[in-house]
Amino acid sequence: MIRTKTMIFLGLTLVLFASFYAFLQDGMAEKTTQQTAQYLHQPVSVDSTKCIATKEFMRANHMRVLNEWRNSSVREGNRIFLAPNGSKLEKSLNTCLGCHKNNKLFCFNCHMYANVKPKCWNCHISAMETP
Amino acid sequence: MMNEERRAFIKKSGLGVLACLGAASGLIPKFSLEKTILPAWDEKPVPGKIRWGMLIDTRKCLEGCQKCVTQCHHVHNVPDFNNRKEEVKWIWKSSYNKVFPTSSQQFQSEKIAGRSYLALCNHCAESPCTRACPTEATFKRWDGIVAMDYHRCIGCRFCMAACPYGSRSFNWQDPRTAIKDPSLAYPTREQGVVEKCNFCSDRLVKGLLPACVEACPQQVMTFGDLNDPKSDIRRLLENNETMQRKPELGTKPSVFYII
Repeated sequence: MIRTKTMIFLGLTLVLFASFYAFLQDGMAEKTTQQTAQYLHQPVSVDSTKCIATKEFMRANHMRVLNEWRNSSVREGNRIFLAPNGSKLEKSLNTCLGCHKNNKLFCFNCHMYANVKPKCWNCHISAMETP
Repeated sequence: MMNEERRAFIKKSGLGVLACLGAASGLIPKFSLEKTILPAWDEKPVPGKIRWGMLIDTRKCLEGCQKCVTQCHHVHNVPDFNNRKEEVKWIWKSSYNKVFPTSSQQFQSEKIAGRSYLALCNHCAESPCTRACPTEATFKRWDGIVAMDYHRCIGCRFCMAACPYGSRSFNWQDPRTAIKDPSLAYPTREQGVVEKCNFCSDRLVKGLLPACVEACPQQVMTFGDLNDPKSDIRRLLENNETMQRKPELGTKPSVFYII
């Protein structure tokens, strides 16, 4: 007897859930609107004197890091990168060039050797072009 | 007999539930079984979010002064080809009947019709260009700025056809040859992309006002958040008669003018 009752209640809950599932979105909307507003008055405290990751990591993954930076900074306006060591950096090629333009051939040497032709410098101003 | 009735009841109530769901899907916009997500609707600046805007007090603007234009074009490496056909511009000055072609009237005062007016991208709330772009290279940012992602632009120029204000320019040639005094902090563009005013989103992240606003010796331009009722721009909009460019198109420009 008790078992039948539980079965009936279970069935009823299932039916209720199924019929109200469609309205679930109504209750869950309007919670994610404000999150981006934080980027605005945030002071960009940029420390562009340290490298963002180890040499080995950057050698293998700099293109992924740059792609990720590009997408999040251009499209979401999130220009601040939190490095693993806790320092904050601006997501910009200028951040990299802050140190690496000491060596004017920094990007070019390796890309030439590997015959890779990235299009960064079609628009971004490279160390080769700065005085 | 009993069972037959029950069966009929269940059938009918089931049909009833289905009918209710069908009606609800039509009546309730956020019905999850039938959801339409249009990016243009999603990203419309809503109250609570920022919507950057600009108010241009054309009464104060000096005739012949080009300081805002040169400063903007210097900061953003806008090329100058000295050729109307290949002209690239982010902000420019033009005559009354070119900036406000639909507001011209008969017997307009010479003083008003004879002045030149600043024009720039209106960063429309209902931007036609972002709808025309096939690659979402131009898109509406969360703060109301119509931004360009030059990495994605394929140079189809649909946005230029869609923009009713002529705010977009195409790079027919390599722009680098025509930049006299490049600013190294900002990239240039390359041949085959469309470019336009970015409302100085590069400066806003640093907490600076747009370059044109800062360069103006007369404080002609007021920049601020249109969604904040206490902002300077909203106060000026409250106390002055203002107008927008081609408001009848329903693009809801974020740039306002005091004539």
